[in-house]
Amino acid sequence: MRFITLILRNLLRRRTRTVLTASGLAVAIASVLDLVGIASNFERSFLTIFVGKGIDLLVVRAGISNQLSSNLDQKLGDKLRGTEGVAQVAATLIDTVGFEGAGIASALINGWESGSPLFKGLRILEGRAFEPNEKNVAMLGRVLALNLGKKVGDKLDVAGEPFRVIGIYEGESLFDSGALVVPLATLQQMMGRESQVTGFVIQARSPDPVAIADLRKRIEAEFPGVAATPARDYVQRDVQIRLSRVMAWATTALALLLGSVGMLNTMIMAVFERTQEIGVLRALGWRRSRVLRLILGESVCLGLFGAALGMVLAVVGLRALLLAPTARGFIDPNLPPAVLFLGLILGLLLSILGGVYPAVRASLLDPSEALRHE
Amino acid sequence: MNEFPVQPSPLLRAEGLTKTYPDGEVQALRGVSLDVERNEAVAIMGPSGCGKSTLLNLLGGLDRPTEGEIYFRGTPLSQIDRDQYRAREVGFVFQSFYVLSTLSAVENVQVPMFETTLDRRQRVERAEALIEQVGLAHRRNHRPMQLSVGERQRVAIARALANEPSLLLADEPTGNLDSRSQNEVLQLLNDLHQRQGLTLIIITHSPEVAAAVQRVIRMRDGRVLEH
Repeated sequence: MRFITLILRNLLRRRTRTVLTASGLAVAIASVLDLVGIASNFERSFLTIFVGKGIDLLVVRAGISNQLSSNLDQKLGDKLRGTEGVAQVAATLIDTVGFEGAGIASALINGWESGSPLFKGLRILEGRAFEPNEKNVAMLGRVLALNLGKKVGDKLDVAGEPFRVIGIYEGESLFDSGALVVPLATLQQMMGRESQVTGFVIQARSPDPVAIADLRKRIEAEFPGVAATPARDYVQRDVQIRLSRVMAWATTALALLLGSVGMLNTMIMAVFERTQEIGVLRALGWRRSRVLRLILGESVCLGLFGAALGMVLAVVGLRALLLAPTARGFIDPNLPPAVLFLGLILGLLLSILGGVYPAVRASLLDPSEALRHE
Repeated sequence: MNEFPVQPSPLLRAEGLTKTYPDGEVQALRGVSLDVERNEAVAIMGPSGCGKSTLLNLLGGLDRPTEGEIYFRGTPLSQIDRDQYRAREVGFVFQSFYVLSTLSAVENVQVPMFETTLDRRQRVERAEALIEQVGLAHRRNHRPMQLSVGERQRVAIARALANEPSLLLADEPTGNLDSRSQNEVLQLLNDLHQRQGLTLIIITHSPEVAAAVQRVIRMRDGRVLEH
């Protein structure tokens, strides 16, 4: 018999309690993994949009934390094009629209100019991109088209305006594939924001970070009231991304607290019930350290069992979440390996946090008193 | 290498043992002194509450005396590692057996061996031999709940012998047994004493057990009356 056999047999002795404790841990760990996973995928997808299109800087109104609330004059684009070190400039107007009939509460709608560099990274699966001066036509991301049940040639009502679907595309990120692209002028008119854009994306002539930093300074000095931000910084500073990150870590802290209290309770009960048995083990010559290893071992095995269950639950839970209309097209159902690994670390951490005190208490039991325990 | 040097008898000597429990109201032992020779079989008898179990716990290194000293092969217990003493030199048998319900008979016997340097194969081999020695080879893979009370006590005896102790301490080992099982266990303890030269200290209320040992120590009110 191995020592681990003894540990596992002790856990199996009270199957219901073991399963309930592990399930509690699993739910806590799954919640953390899903939230951290969503936040991480959210950030990654957002970044992919910019990286995939070769965007070096984003120009928006200074002081805003959410791109959607930015508002700049479209004519600024021409001035930016004339700035030294700028290779390409593209204007973009971004908003959100809902498709209640399809159960989609919110989808990103992008207003781009025909032939804009922003089309880079989009692969047209069906149909075509729009031509200059074309109005009320829409290109749908693959996921959105699937959710709306639309194909090329179909009519589409967008916020009360009639549109015709002329293309279906696949984007490099889930945001792209869950969004739609319409001509900039059409969207400006629809939203009552004529000659206004959300911002500009800039591709620099040199990919050198120092040159990009210089360009950023030049733009901000030349055009007061605008902020030029590198894509990665922009993504990391985005208020929604920061919120999702904060929520994920706040949930992690809460799950750690609740999970370790649950584990602590289970292990304290286990030690209390087995006081006499611990006395017997000490009488048989077991050292305090071995008793400590036994109880901590049980706690760690329970934690790892909970973590494994939590990882499965997180994967299943995320896929189940996609059934909700609001999540469709926004959530990547694949959890990155690093996030799954976090589940394992959490399981270990919870089991150690919850197991140390009962294990130390068990190891400090006086053998003769423990034997007298009823 | 043996940690406890072999010295002239006695194997165990208790000098002026007193034990007062922390509340200060119960004085379980009041100046107990005794010698137990190597290969001796001794019974300790006396009414409930006279301090028998307290004495056994002190002799087995489970507890420390308030005053006095115990010498094992001439070395004071206060100067040696009690865990090691219990693991290597002492085997305990309890009235309620205390075999672990989740483990089979042969696995129960392996439990004390975790404190030795034996590997898994050696632990299993020794446990199998001990289970055979107590006559339970055919029940080796049975869990305690599948064994009779007499068989459970035999498993507990095999477990007490796991690390080849020189001293076996038994606290009313036949107290919970029917007469047939009582005879079997008594016979087994007698064999271990006779054939292996194991030193036995048995707490008992049973005249049969007392008749089977070489010497009876009688106690009352925390004192030894005769030995």
